[in-house]
Amino acid sequence: MPKSLKVGIWTFIGSFLFLMFYGFQSVLVAAIGALLIAIFGVLLALPLPDVVKSGLLTGIIGLVFVIAYAVERPAIALLGAMITGVSAALMASYRQHKTDLRAGAIQGALAGAVGGALTAIALFLVWLYIVPAAGVTNIAYAKLLSETIPLGASLGSDVAIIGWLSALTLLISMLLGALMGMARTVEGVRGNLLSYAILGLVVLLIPILDRQTELQLLNAFIPVFVFILLALGLNIVVGYAGLLDLGYAAFFAIGAYTTGMLSSPLHDTHWNFWLVIWIAAAVAACAGVILGAPTLPLRGDYLAIVTLGFGEIVPILFRNLGGGGPNGSLTLKLFGGQLGTADIAGFTVMDQVNLTGGVAGINPIDPPKLPGIVFGPQNQVPWFYLLVAIMMLTLFLINRLRGSRQGRAWTALREDELAADAMGINTVRTKLLAFAMGATFSGFAGAFYGAYVSAIFPTSFDFSVSIIVLCMVILGGLGNMAGVIVGGLLIMGADRLILPQTSNLIRKVVQHQQNTLDLPTYRDITQWRLLLFGMVLVLMMLVRPEGLLPNARRRAELHPDEDTAEQENATLFDAERDPQLAGH
Amino acid sequence: MATRSVSQSGDPVEVHQRPWLTTRRVIIIVSTIVFLALFGIPLLNVGYKMVETPSLFLQQVVTGLTKGTYLAIIALGYTLVYGIIELINFAHGEVYMMGAFFSLSLIGLFGLSGESSALALTFGLVGIMICTMTFTAVLNASIERFAYRPLRNAPRLAPLISAIGVSFMLQNVGILWGDHNLWDNLADWTGIDRLTRIGDAMGSNMVAPKSFPSLLPNRQVPFIPDSWFTFTWKSLLVVVVSLSLLGALYAFVRFTKLGKAMRATAQDRDASRLMGINVDLTISLTFLIGGALGGAAGMLVGLYTGTAVFNMGFTAGLLAFTAAVLGGIGNILGSALGGLLIGLLLALSDQYLGSRWSNAVIFAILVLILVFRPTGLLGEEGGQKA
Amino acid sequence: MSLLLDARGITKRFGGLTAVSAVDFQIERGSIVGLIGPNGAGKTTFFNMITGLYTPTEGQMIFDGEVVNGSKPSDVTKLGIGRTFQNIRLFANLSALENVLIGMHCRLHTTLLGTLLRTPSMRREEAAAKERALELLDYVGLGRQYANVTAKNLPYGDQRRLEVARALATQPKLLLLDEPTAGMNPNETALLTALIRRVRDELGLTVLLIEHDMKVVMGISERVTVLDRGVKIAEGTPHEVQTNPAVVEAYLGTGHAAKGKGGGPLIINDPNAQQASPPSA
Repeated sequence: MPKSLKVGIWTFIGSFLFLMFYGFQSVLVAAIGALLIAIFGVLLALPLPDVVKSGLLTGIIGLVFVIAYAVERPAIALLGAMITGVSAALMASYRQHKTDLRAGAIQGALAGAVGGALTAIALFLVWLYIVPAAGVTNIAYAKLLSETIPLGASLGSDVAIIGWLSALTLLISMLLGALMGMARTVEGVRGNLLSYAILGLVVLLIPILDRQTELQLLNAFIPVFVFILLALGLNIVVGYAGLLDLGYAAFFAIGAYTTGMLSSPLHDTHWNFWLVIWIAAAVAACAGVILGAPTLPLRGDYLAIVTLGFGEIVPILFRNLGGGGPNGSLTLKLFGGQLGTADIAGFTVMDQVNLTGGVAGINPIDPPKLPGIVFGPQNQVPWFYLLVAIMMLTLFLINRLRGSRQGRAWTALREDELAADAMGINTVRTKLLAFAMGATFSGFAGAFYGAYVSAIFPTSFDFSVSIIVLCMVILGGLGNMAGVIVGGLLIMGADRLILPQTSNLIRKVVQHQQNTLDLPTYRDITQWRLLLFGMVLVLMMLVRPEGLLPNARRRAELHPDEDTAEQENATLFDAERDPQLAGH
Repeated sequence: MATRSVSQSGDPVEVHQRPWLTTRRVIIIVSTIVFLALFGIPLLNVGYKMVETPSLFLQQVVTGLTKGTYLAIIALGYTLVYGIIELINFAHGEVYMMGAFFSLSLIGLFGLSGESSALALTFGLVGIMICTMTFTAVLNASIERFAYRPLRNAPRLAPLISAIGVSFMLQNVGILWGDHNLWDNLADWTGIDRLTRIGDAMGSNMVAPKSFPSLLPNRQVPFIPDSWFTFTWKSLLVVVVSLSLLGALYAFVRFTKLGKAMRATAQDRDASRLMGINVDLTISLTFLIGGALGGAAGMLVGLYTGTAVFNMGFTAGLLAFTAAVLGGIGNILGSALGGLLIGLLLALSDQYLGSRWSNAVIFAILVLILVFRPTGLLGEEGGQKA
Repeated sequence: MSLLLDARGITKRFGGLTAVSAVDFQIERGSIVGLIGPNGAGKTTFFNMITGLYTPTEGQMIFDGEVVNGSKPSDVTKLGIGRTFQNIRLFANLSALENVLIGMHCRLHTTLLGTLLRTPSMRREEAAAKERALELLDYVGLGRQYANVTAKNLPYGDQRRLEVARALATQPKLLLLDEPTAGMNPNETALLTALIRRVRDELGLTVLLIEHDMKVVMGISERVTVLDRGVKIAEGTPHEVQTNPAVVEAYLGTGHAAKGKGGGPLIINDPNAQQASPPSA
């Protein structure tokens, strides 16, 4: 059986069961839905030209965005087109590298066109089917269109506006695709810089688009970017140095709590954010070294488990060091504090120190201050640009680390720790440096996040945060920054943008159809997010363990052919022969 | 650290041994001092409290050991799997959770309650336990079949991440399972009205802890006086069932042919294959057994504590894993011992340090063992294979 | 000539097993020394004790005037001992150039801050390191045109050579080669033998090699030490060793030694010898 057919059948069965279970109790509706999804599966599995395939793959992002949002905010198509165009061209050039400027432009434009077309089709679907289904009248939607689409007011009829919007969508997607395609043909560092410049352009345009078309998506975008920042940091530890860290949220928490404790009414200290963010990063780096040190002799899954333990202990500490009931709780107190009070126990009196705000967390945390700019909950734009600046800095620094002496040592460590040691690489220092650098960027993220949400709780940093960040790194491609960013956009985009909005939409449609308020909770798509994450992890491991945009090297590592497998066996043999070596 | 001693000719003469005070030792000593400075007095205080009321202490020991027996059977699930394919089966905690949910559903479905007759209760519970164990055994083995087996020759990270993925999926299944709307709709849809009883058993909130009806007698056992410590029939049953499962497993692995195949596969998979052992089947069998034990533990815990919640597997899994590591992972008796110890520590820490510190204490222990004695208390071979 | 390596009474026990027992072993500066012995004689264990992978149970390992037993492998390398592995342990997924650059790690000085700021000195150092790495690739006969080839895609003989280049990149005083010609065809073997000699003559390094190919050992070494069951049974020039009855006995068994008593020297050049003794551990 051809692979594409197999994929089609499996996707059909899977999505049919899902839709039936999800509550499309009409078999026909579920079958049609499953068929649509299966067609996609078949298309992706068919041996189509790379350009078309890249366009299709990334076009899904635009499609899903539009379907989820366009009922309320039709201008989302423009944003979708921007993202789709850039990523389609990136993916196309990744699959088939072009060196000629013109060929690159054509390739990018074509891929962008396919993706943009998909987005535009989704726009029509929304307009024709979903808008009426959700109970929005034609008049109301036309009004919305004319108000939020550029030039919308002058076009008048809604058909014209939709047509104009889809043309614009296609155009933007093609244009950005062509630009990106051209940038990818330039070799070396300059090519990378050009790609980053185009990405930066898109990112910088987002707030303007957001404001012009009333998308109001910045407050959803910012957490996405914070998580991408985290993923970039974790990528150093897991992707470059090969140390599986399951407790990465601990450093995020440390960064956020440092900020919280240094600039909030809790201890009545109000240090300046611009200073605190560096302190937070430094504290996180130190924590990285301290928590990394005991794990040094460990390897593989033991390392994972210990880091997981630390990831749990840190939030527990933050929760418990915030005072609480006097009975049966142990409180940090240097040398026991007040000794020799009333009874013979002498030590039963222990003052509760409120270091961290306990379960209630720290609230509020001071925002950054800059003359002329107000960082406030209502004004998201400065936050957005601040975060973009932090991300640029991060990308810049990690890029420098990667090809350096330190970066090479990490790679060597990941490839073969014993050989690296024998080549004069101090494994202890190298590992600790990886932990520290990873933690530093997490500290930046934490500091920003603390100031941004202005209220942090121990529960904001639990195991699921670590796992989501790890998912992002793995989905995108271990060891590849572009991959990690893409992975982050996909996972967090799905989690923070698509899932809640889809859930919203479904509720709307169901309410309109049945005219009741009763929507079973299990039909709230946000209740399925763990399942979706889990599925992504398992499927990625089974189908494409190297991630969407893998680092060429990691790809080779994760697809071991005979040679490397043999070599691995030999190493195992060596190590097992001697317990000392194994524990080395 | 090398000590330098060079004679005039350049040839080494007098040479020193390595200094006693190595960096590692310095770090250990300093951290011990810091630890004692911060926690020494409170710990002394705890010790004092323990001596002050011995009866309370004794009670906690008994409670801890009771908890320890079921932790031990969860720990066995980890230890068996780790022993045979060297994978930390992250999904095992969730299999245990599914055991609790499944048994609760069956209890609801059969309408067992505290008022049911003793005979109905006995047969009902035994039947439910068998069903639950079968269910979780099959679940665990299918997880292995679909999520781990294809990755057997992949790098070690791959199955571990896959296991984490499965664990997340199962947690979500637990959330959905706990939604009474789902069962009501299923009942509507299939026409089987009884299914609504499962929905009733799940309560109104899908993510809230589910409560088990109290089916086990909560009276003091006659042969232990009240004045010593409380020990109910319920606890006794948990201990007896857990210990007999443990014994059965030990006997199976030790004395049967299949058990021997399991041990052989754990030692060397390729050699076992050459000796005519069906390795895939043996691994499946291991997962079946591990799953059955996990399911039994889930049901026992549900009946003992009276609650089940979709994320119960995570914490319990970590506790049990710690127990397995403490005792020596891969070693059945070691894991059992580890389970008892962790149960004990947990109960004592709940009582004397406050339950909010318990998890931190357990994790700290886990880290300490892995760093200082990775082979565990009873571990024979290298605790970690590179 | 002064001693570069002086092993005094080295003993290594694994549990109840004594792998190496009270071995005294000296290497003079600028010499090429061979270490031979039947399978399981403790050669690789001895090697691993020199490079710091194992700590001797007893005795002292003195390298260039410093006691190195108990030092970490990376520190030993920094002191000037470079090595290759019996079963090639290149960084298989990295390019040849990167492999050599990693070998230079401990001789480069760029700090973290230097990397992040990309200081002029860091850039200079990187450029120099890259140039030197390419030179090394040329030197071992791999050629700089292979610089960007992934290590595992290189032919077997070239992988061995790359390992030597990587070891040379650590700027060693003593080069340890663990069965450098294992699995090579005669042509490759000859090339590698020539390379070893050149390394000593041109770069002034001291070389210690474990080898099963007696032709190589006897042809290249100035002194040969023979280990059997962890004990040093003979030492001397290749000729002395070949005629030593204890060595004959160790290789061919007691009966043969009795028969060969007073007979001719051990015929080690037998081409079948290689097959008869597969790589030991």
